[in-house]
Order: sequence, then C-alpha cells, then structure tokens
Amino acid sequence: MNLVNIKDVLTSFSPALDYLALSTGDGRIKIWDTVKGQVQTEFADIASAEETNIYTNGGKGHLSVDYTCMKWLSLERKKKRKLGTSILVLGTGGGDVLALDVASGQLKWRISDCHPGGVNAVSSSTKASCIYSGGADGMVCEIDPNSGNLIRKFKASTKAVSSLSVSPDGKILATASAQLKTFNCSDLKKIHKFTGHPGGVRCVAFTEDGKYVLSSAVGERYIAVWKTDGAKKQSASCVLALEHPPVFVDSWGETDKMGLYVLAISEVGVCYFWYGSNVEELGNAKPTKVSLATEDSSLKQQHKGSLPVIFAAKLQGVLKPGSANAFIASGLLVKPSFQKMLLQFGNDLVLNASKNGVLLPITQSVSKSKKGQGVQNKVTTLDRAHAEDALLPIARVADLQEKKSVQPHSSDKDTDMIEQSQAVSDYVETFSMEDKLRSLGILKGTNEPSNLSYASAIDGIDLEAYLPPKKLKSAVLSMEPSTAFKTLEALASMWQTRGCGGRYLLPWIYSIMVTHSHYIMSREPKNHQLLSILHKITKSRTIALQQLLQLSGRLQLVTAQINKAVGNETQTRVHEQEIDDESEDEEEDVEEHFYGENDNESELSSDEGEDKGK
Amino acid sequence: MIRGGSSYVASAPSFSNDAKKLLVCTGNTVSVFSVATGLKITSLEGHTAPVTTLIVVPASTAAQKILCYCWTASLDGTIRHWDFSGPELLKTIDAHVPIYSMVIPSLLSEPHLTDSTKLVAYVSVEDASLVKEGSKELRGHIRRFNLAKERLPRGDTLKETEEPKSIVISPSGEFFGILHKCKIHVWDTVTSGGSIRNAVSKKMTLHHTKVINAFAFHPTERIIAAGDVTGRVLIWRGFGNRKLALGSQKKNVRSVVDLDNPGVRDGDDAESSTTWHWHSAEVNVLNFSSDGEYLYTGGREGVLVVWKLDTGKKKFLPRIGSPLLYFMWSPDPTLSSVVCADNQIHLLKMPSMEILRTISGIKPPPSLPKMYEGLASTVAFDRSSGVAALCTENYCVQLYNLLNDRGISEVQVCERNHQPGDEITVVVTAVALSLDGSVMSTTEVKLAEDGIGGLVSLKFWVSEPDNKTFTLSTIVYEPHKDAGVSAIAFHPTRSMAVSTSFGGDFKIWVCNGSDKDSSSWTCHAVGSYKKKPMTAAAFSGDGTVLAVAAEKVITLWNPGKNILLSVLGATLTPITKLCFAGKSEFLVAASHVPKPQLSVWNTSKLSLSWSYELRIEAVTSAVDSSAFAVLALIPETFKKSKSKKNIFSGRDGAILLFNGSDPKPVSIWTVIKGEGGSISFLEGEDDKSQLRLAYVNGSHEYVVFHPNSDETHERCAEGLTGDEETAGDFGYTSLYGKLPDYDKKRLECVESLATPFVSSERPWETIFSGSTLNFPPLQKLCGEFFESLMEKRTAVVE
Repeated sequence: MNLVNIKDVLTSFSPALDYLALSTGDGRIKIWDTVKGQVQTEFADIASAEETNIYTNGGKGHLSVDYTCMKWLSLERKKKRKLGTSILVLGTGGGDVLALDVASGQLKWRISDCHPGGVNAVSSSTKASCIYSGGADGMVCEIDPNSGNLIRKFKASTKAVSSLSVSPDGKILATASAQLKTFNCSDLKKIHKFTGHPGGVRCVAFTEDGKYVLSSAVGERYIAVWKTDGAKKQSASCVLALEHPPVFVDSWGETDKMGLYVLAISEVGVCYFWYGSNVEELGNAKPTKVSLATEDSSLKQQHKGSLPVIFAAKLQGVLKPGSANAFIASGLLVKPSFQKMLLQFGNDLVLNASKNGVLLPITQSVSKSKKGQGVQNKVTTLDRAHAEDALLPIARVADLQEKKSVQPHSSDKDTDMIEQSQAVSDYVETFSMEDKLRSLGILKGTNEPSNLSYASAIDGIDLEAYLPPKKLKSAVLSMEPSTAFKTLEALASMWQTRGCGGRYLLPWIYSIMVTHSHYIMSREPKNHQLLSILHKITKSRTIALQQLLQLSGRLQLVTAQINKAVGNETQTRVHEQEIDDESEDEEEDVEEHFYGENDNESELSSDEGEDKGK
Repeated sequence: MIRGGSSYVASAPSFSNDAKKLLVCTGNTVSVFSVATGLKITSLEGHTAPVTTLIVVPASTAAQKILCYCWTASLDGTIRHWDFSGPELLKTIDAHVPIYSMVIPSLLSEPHLTDSTKLVAYVSVEDASLVKEGSKELRGHIRRFNLAKERLPRGDTLKETEEPKSIVISPSGEFFGILHKCKIHVWDTVTSGGSIRNAVSKKMTLHHTKVINAFAFHPTERIIAAGDVTGRVLIWRGFGNRKLALGSQKKNVRSVVDLDNPGVRDGDDAESSTTWHWHSAEVNVLNFSSDGEYLYTGGREGVLVVWKLDTGKKKFLPRIGSPLLYFMWSPDPTLSSVVCADNQIHLLKMPSMEILRTISGIKPPPSLPKMYEGLASTVAFDRSSGVAALCTENYCVQLYNLLNDRGISEVQVCERNHQPGDEITVVVTAVALSLDGSVMSTTEVKLAEDGIGGLVSLKFWVSEPDNKTFTLSTIVYEPHKDAGVSAIAFHPTRSMAVSTSFGGDFKIWVCNGSDKDSSSWTCHAVGSYKKKPMTAAAFSGDGTVLAVAAEKVITLWNPGKNILLSVLGATLTPITKLCFAGKSEFLVAASHVPKPQLSVWNTSKLSLSWSYELRIEAVTSAVDSSAFAVLALIPETFKKSKSKKNIFSGRDGAILLFNGSDPKPVSIWTVIKGEGGSISFLEGEDDKSQLRLAYVNGSHEYVVFHPNSDETHERCAEGLTGDEETAGDFGYTSLYGKLPDYDKKRLECVESLATPFVSSERPWETIFSGSTLNFPPLQKLCGEFFESLMEKRTAVVE
C-alpha cells in the first residue's frame, strides 16, 4: 500500500526533540526543525564530499550509500551544554559506521568495514559514554563517540545481530537476533538469554529503570516484555498485542513509582500506547491508538504510496498517572508536521492529516483554490455596527446599593455593612444617575421599533380568526421564506410576551416551522436564538401542563358540583377558559414531539367544540 | 537558565579562513555558526561586556587555512586572542578603556608574522577618565596599541573625536581611516622595516559636503569609496599619492590646488573623484569585492547593489526586506554574507546572489510613534509552550520559541507592503495570547495621513498547530468607534476576550461556534464607567471577575452577564497595567504618568493593601499561586546615589518577585534595558508547579530562569540578569529601607481618601427639612452641621 514503507524509514529525534533526522533510504538525510516545521539541512553524499581528493565524484553518488540505522546523541562536555556536541551516528549497508556532526554539517569520524555485511543497529545510553553497534557478522562493537575509536569488539551471536539496545544507565546491553541476549556492559558477560521470537528481532528497548526489555520481531504482531533480572530460563513477562507489526518501541516510566508507559508505531503508521502501574496491569491493558484521520478513498487512490502516517514518536514525560506527553511526527514524509500531544490512556486519538506537501493533480488544485477562497470567506468581518446585540451593562450594584444606602439611614449600627458599601455608595450616585438612565433610554429605544416591526411582519394575518388547517397551510406556503421567518420571529416574541394567546399563535408557528424549515435552518445563527427561545417556552409550559390538567379537573369537578346545585350559566365560561389554557399546553406538547401530525389540532378543536356543546 | 534572542547584527561578522564557519558577535559572546547548516557550533565566552570587534587572523598559505585564530575587542576594555576551533582563550590583554573598534594592520600586511608580541593594533577607545560631566572634552580616541604591552600608552593617540569612531582598514593593511562627519581621515600604517615604536603614522583627509556614513578601501589600488546620507557613492582614486606615499611632503601641500583632479574638493590628496547615485536613502554598506573588480553598496532600502568598478554597471539583489548593515565576503569566492537590521544574516551564493541560508534571531521591536510609547504591549507569551509573540517592524508578529531560541514563524498582521525605507503607516499596538495559546489577538492602527484614513482594527487569530502559525478568524474594524484600543486580555478558561479603549468603553468578545473552522468572534457585551478612558483590563485567575481600569479607578465586572460588581477607589494617576495575583484576591495595578505607582488592591476588602512609588513596565502573575512579578525601572535618584552606583552598573531595571499580600519582595534581579521590556511566568519543563520566569528586554533579548532555584542565585556578572539579591541583603536594604516609607504614607493617604465613602448619618439633611419657621438659630445649626462633619471623620477609624 505504501510506496515508501515506514519500515525502511529511519528516524531519530535529537535529544532535545528540536530536530528530527529522517532518511528514506536514498542516502540522503534530512534534518527537520520541529519547532519551525521546516527542513533545516539536508545531508547527501557526506562520505564522498569528505573524500573528494581520494575518490572521484563520478562513481559514487548519494544513492550508493545505504543507511541501515541511525541514532542521534548528544555528547557531554564539561562546560558546554548541547552546542556542537550533537552527533548523528549512522550505520550503512556496506558495514561502515559514521558519525555526523549535525551543527557543523561535517563528518566527525568514520569506521570503515566495522561490520562486514552491514551494520544493523546502533545504540547508546542516555549519557552517551560509548556507542554500541551490531552487524550482520554477529559482532558487537563498542565505539568511543568522541574520537570514533573502536574500543572493544565481541561476538554476541553466531547469527546476525538484528537489533540492540543499551539500558538508560548504560550497564546492560541487549542484543537480538532471533534470540535476545543481555550482557553486562562492563565485562561483556552474558547475563540472560531470552528465546521465543521466531525471526529476527526488529526493535529492542529498555524501560527507564532497566528492569524490563521490550522486543518485537519482524512480522510479529506483539511486543514481548522480558524481565532482565529474573530467573535463567523464563518466558516473557507479558505480551502487548497490536494490529500490525511494530517498527518502533519506546517506553517511559518505572515499574515502582510512575507505572510503565509503552509507545509503539506499527508498520502502517499507527501509534499504540499502553499504560500499567505494573507489568501485569500492562499486559492486560488495551492499547490506546493514535492514528491519522483516514482520507477519503479517492485521495487514497490518487496518492497511493504517499499516505500520511505517523512515523516517529517519542514519549516526553508523564503528566499524571495514565497520561503522558508525546512528541509525534506525522503526515507525509515529504512534509511532516510535528506535534506535542497529551496521550490519555483509554482515549483514542485521531489526528488531522494535513495535505501539505502533496503535489495535487489539477482537479485537486482547483478545489484547493476554492478552498483558498473558502479560507478567505471564513474570516468574519465586523464593522462599526458589531455591538448592536451586545449586552449593556447592568447596574446591579446600583440596585443593591439603593437598598444598602437606605440601611445606614435607618439603622446606623450596621457597621459591617458600612465598610462594604462605602466604596460603592460613592459610585452609585454617579453611575445610576447617568448610565442607568442612559441604558434605560437605550432599552426603550430598541424595544419600540422591534415591536413595530413585529406588527408589520404579521401584517395581513388575522391571528384571532380561526382558519382551518389546510387554509392556514396554504397561507403559509404562499409566504416568502424571508417573510415567513420574520413572521416566525414576531410570533415567537408575541408568544413570549403573551401578546396573543397561544391558541392562535401555535398553529402558525407550527406550520411555518414545517413548511419553511430549510430556510430556517439556513439562517442558523440568528435562528439558533429563536429556536432556543421557542424551546424554552414550550419546555416551561409543558412542565406546567400536568398541574394545569389537575387544576382544570378540579375546577371541572367543583363547577359541576356548583352547577348541580345552582344550575348557573357562569360555569361554562370558566370551563371554557380552562380548556383554552389546557389546549394551548397540549398544542405545545404536540409541537415538540409530533411534527407532521396535523390531526391533533382538529382533534383539539373538536374537543373545544364538544366543550362548547356542553 | 536560558539566554537568547541576542542581536547578531551589533557588529560585523567574519568568516573563518576555510569559509565553513561564520563568527558573529552576539552580545558578550562570539557565536560560531556553521555555514553549511546555519546552526550554532560553539561560542567564545569570556568577555563581560558586548564584543565590538572580531578579527579572524587571515591565512597566508593554503596550509594555514585550517588555523582558527581570532582577536576580539570588547567594551569591557580587554582584547582577547582565541582559538575558535576549540574553543580556547589564548591570551587576554587589558586595555582598561572600553574599545569600540580595533584593527590590526600587520595581520593583513604581514600575514606570515604570527608572533603576537610584535603586533600593533589601532583601537578606537572611549576615555572618560579626563572627561568631566557636561564638558566638551573629546572622549573618543584613536590610539596605537602594542599588543605586547598591557596598557595603552597615552602618547600614541592619533586623533581625538567627540565620540568613539569605528576604524576601517584597507584589505591590504596599508591604510586605515575613520569617518568624522563630512571628512575621512586616513593614516598609513608603517610598513617599512624600521622599528615600530619610532614610526609615526601619516595622515591625510578627504572632504565631502554631506555627512559620510560608510567608506571602504580598495583591496589593491589606492581607491576609497564612501557613501553619504543622501545616497551618493563617491569614489576617490589615487588618494594619498602626495602625502602618504612620498612621506616627506609636509602639510603645506594643501595650498597647492591641482586643477587636474576632477571632482576632488579642497585640494584633497586624490587624483580624481566620481559620484554614483542610485540609492534614494542613506548608504550604510560599502565593500569592495576581494579582487577589487566590484563594489557592493546597500542602505536603508534593503537592496544590495553591485557596481562594476570600471564601468559603473549595476546588478541588484532587491527585496531583502530590511536595511542593510554589513556586507562581508568570504575566502570562498562563491560565498558572502549580508547582514540586515532585522537581526538576520543572509548567506549569499555568489555571483548569482541568491540567498542560500539565513541565520536569524528575534526581530527588533518596531519603532512606535510617540503617542503609543509606553502604552503598547508588543510582547505576549504562551506559558505552556514557552512561545513568545513579538511585534516586529514589518507589520508582523513573530512567534519565537524561547526555550529553543528559535523563530517559529511570522504572522503578517496586515496586508501591506513593507519597504524598509518607507515611513511607518501602520502600527501594531498590542498583541495578546490566550492562556492555552490557541487564540491570538492583535490590534493595529493605520495612522491618519493629514487627518484622513486613520483606522483602528482588532483581529482574532486561531492557531494552526500543523503549520505552526495563526490564521485570521475575525477582523473588527473600528472596535471602539474612532478610539484606539488600549489593552486586550483573554479569559483564562473560556474563549472570551476583552478590549478596552481610550474612548471610554470596553467590549467583551466571545467566540461562538465550537468548530474551529467556522468559529467567529462577536461582541458579547459593552461596558463603560462614567465615560472615562479605559486603560487596562485583566481577568481574575478563575475568570469570574473582570477588572477594568477606568483611568484612576478599577471597576470589577461579571464578564458573562456584564454586571458591574464593584469599584475600587482611586489611584493617583491613570492605571496602565492590571493583573490579578494568581488565584488570590489581590489585584496589582501599575501607573506611571505623571507619577509612577505600583499598588496592590485587596478585592475582597475593596481596599488598597500596599503600594510603591515605582515605575512598572510589566506585570505577570503565576496561575496557581499568589506570586507575581513586576518589572520596575530603577528610579534615577537611586541610580545616582554613589553608594549604589556599582550595584546598578549599566542596569536600569529590576524584576521584583512578590508573594501575594506581602509588600516585601521575595527576590530581586537587576536587569539591563528594562525599558520596553516584558516579563511572564512560564510553566516548568517537567513539573508544572515549578515556574520559570521569562524576561524579554527592550531590544528583544531574553532570559528564562527559575525564580526559586539556586542556579540564578549565583551571581552572573555578565548578561541580562545579574546581581540577584534577596530582600534584606546589603545592596538593596538601602532601597528597601526607604520604600516602606512611601508605603506607609500611601496607605495613610488612601485611608484619608476613603473618608468620603463613609455614609454617615448626615444630620443636616434632616435639619434643613421642614418649614423656615422651625429653623433653628444659625449658631446651633452651624455647630451641628460641623459636628456632623467631625463625626464622620471619627467614624472612619475602625
């Protein structure tokens, strides 16, 4: 699926995580600046550039160099902190180990034919006191990082060493072919042998305290966790399963205090994250996945081989149990993006894949230009009139103070209050005089025209007159969407202010909502307020419904009793009013729950008719 | 402690002999950059004051090209000899006077002579020992200095000027000269084999009618090129044929006016003078190519011009975007560098003049028009990621990672072409970042031309983590009618912001739309208080209270409902900065015109808890604790008093760290260039509770340090911060012995101010009511009236 399989991509973060070295197997190394998200430098052809006098440039290009492993480490110097001491150690398929001084861009040292048959792995402890390299010849070399001198060399395995790792404290070395072995770094004595992997181990990593080794072989869909100081013969402590074989494993934390955090990247560019306070818990943990949003399939077809993936990640620190900071490089290899993110154990994350760096075909570029316009459109521009619906200051202090300022007059023993109010009372006099009046004036000013507009909006509709549902519907249909919307607004406000009975309003509101729903939806922001108002009113009235029904029943009972006793006509009027309220509430209920059922209204009206008949 | 943001352009950089390294003067240190990667390799540390001159010892033979020796001269009065491959300090010579410029001719003329004991340097020094305050003594001296000796002999002064001048040397090492207004003084170095001590340099002068900005010597021929303030480039050919070469001729040559010398003024000693005019503004950069075929010039327009010397044909490298300061060619003929005023060094590929690589730092702050001085807040911080957003000259906001000392990106705030030479028409007056760094807000003012076309706009930007930049979300034209925006503040938790204006209102803006793409900001509420200019705003730590300064009083609001909660009584002068001290109830207010004041208010008691008479440049507070820090400018009176002179040597600001209500600062650091500076707390790297303090000074240099760790307690004599003394230490006790006096006084006067707030019984109100017949006699009335007043006063005392 991927043209460039991330198995073949070599990545290495600088210790401060401000750079990422990336090599895609063409002999070039790109140094990405993770802060800026730009390429800082590109190294191609380092070896031959260095030796121009010896070799001619013609024969050897950068493509002839085949890097197989890469490790960025910073050398400790006494006075200087990180400057000038950052080297990139590279192993080549030709068996050379070279170190590149990243800052100066020069080859620092080179060991030719260190591992005949190819270097497979390089590693060093966090202090970088020495570098270990393992190769196809089964040997492990210990190299001085400053000078590039070979310190020691020993046979770790009869087969090729496929991966190796040094514990963070630099005391234990783990080498792996199919078999995982740990060595004591000081005397190179073998400590343990872990068997179980069927093929060559691709990645090995120590936990921070060096108590466990994580390993995964080619093609295996799990990571095995081994205890380093256990019994001689043992099987893996636990196994972490994932959906695709992992290509990179990183861990953080300690078994005792913080718990263990394991991060892995699978072949298809998905990042897995485990957390457990101890190994048993870790083994039972379900991995949290971090993946990139899958693009639509069309894009997938068009850009086969350049799918955005997560290709490098590093755990940075633990925030609280179960969540850790990770630095993730994702996207396309030609234009990765770098993010520091918080991984919450149990919360799968989907990152947005940016299409930056994709050479888009013409159809795409058209859409992109459209998108560009869209971007421009997305910018909201507000002119001078932006503050029209803004809240005006409420002079609550003034009200409070009026009360309070009365208090001292009446009861001056209230000394506690004085202290509180003294500061504000001064203010009250000034504020309430000017601003409150002004704000009131403004309120008046805005209220009146709005009422007028409502009146004009519902002009031509005789709300009081009863219309059969069909006529009402046709009347609504004949309205322009905009006028209908205005009418809706007006009706809503009238309902809210109880300017007119709900009995008359609700059929209209309901009908407008049904017929002009598209337009209403298009007027989303403004409409949102309106709808919420409507919703609130209906809600509030439905709450009262039950009580009203009870009340009406009680009243009916009482009036019936009175009626029996007296036989008065007044009974009917009361009853009618009650029914009015009741029906109103029912209609609200209807409006909320049974859109599209027109019969209710007729039922209700027939109810009314019946009532009247009574 | 992280230092950074140093200026790369304070003095001319220099290439190493193999042209693989570029040495740059960065403040007190010299940084060595790799030409291939643009990354810093190492730095030469040792000088205690800014390095002014950097001379790489040239290689005479190909074999010597790997040698990496250089000389540096600094304002600390020392000349040092380094091996910069190491890096290693080889030798230090103390000259005791600040050195502004230095040349060593014999390095160029006799490169085989590597024995440093025979080297002679010419230095431009400032000798203030004889100069009394206010007198017009000439303090700039050009002196000859034998590098074998430890002290500058006084007798070897060649020239005295008002100010120290920079010395220019010819590439051959035969001549050197200085600029002095409209004149160029040229000396020849004594190359004859005689003893150095007896040789007296000979001098000649070239005149021009305009002030000369820069000049350069031709590498092989006797040609001087000079650029003046009007943009002319003058070329004198064959200078000094009479005076310098022959040597025996005396000063009377001046009377002989040679008519054959076209263009040469006042009988100057030159064969001919020609003028080239292309630059519209002043010429700052002049340099001949190494073979002498071409002349490179540049100036304010930001265009590098290459002149072919014998024909006068031009080639250009336009759109560099900033005034040019230096042009240096390297030993590698395909490489040269041009240094720009916006703190960038471009490495150019020659002869096509394309920019290969750029070494850049924080861009310098914009020069604001007078009316915005002291009011603009041009630096904002993202506390979690350690990113600072800084306004720059070219209408941009530069995002700079303080922890890595690296620029991230630039956000073009307004669409307008920037020409370095142009008059400034737009000013970005304020930038603010939300607490999580996801939203940025900027405000800019388009300055009115002849009273027309002025426009204030407020912009909201949302971050795009992929591209490490911000995109425009909402633009508000004239957010406060015609009035300018005085401050922007973000709500700590919600997407809400407040902008205040000089026009007397503030507006609360909220972001609606949860989706990032469709979100836009709208005005949520408008508030004003007595139509007073609103000058500062701050949200409380939990975001429930908004404090807005209405000139001298502080109004407290409920930001969601726009309810005025309370008013805090008056300060003496208009408030310019407001800040809640973390989550505590204390509110810090600062004002400075005309009388500076730092006051801390208790919002629960609505009273002033303490105040200092200090001019405050910036205030910041921790999110969780009640600690807050202020950047104060040290008052002149303190600086002048002699006992403290050595404490404040060159430092004009102090960062004071307070803890809540305690008026005694926890610790104090003195800083340089505090004016226009800014401070902020940053979250700790591993542990969020361990706060760091970032300080960006007036010229955008910065330092990040742990205020509580021991690291900063050790004295660092050089650099931005230094002389950290906890309160109670000897140096500052004098300062803090005095300040509590102010404190008490202010407290007293505040108490007296508080009196009118007391609502007493006011008996006179009832006395006057009723008919005039019932009026009590005047004596009684007066007595009671005044008694009531007296009562009121006693009521204040709690």
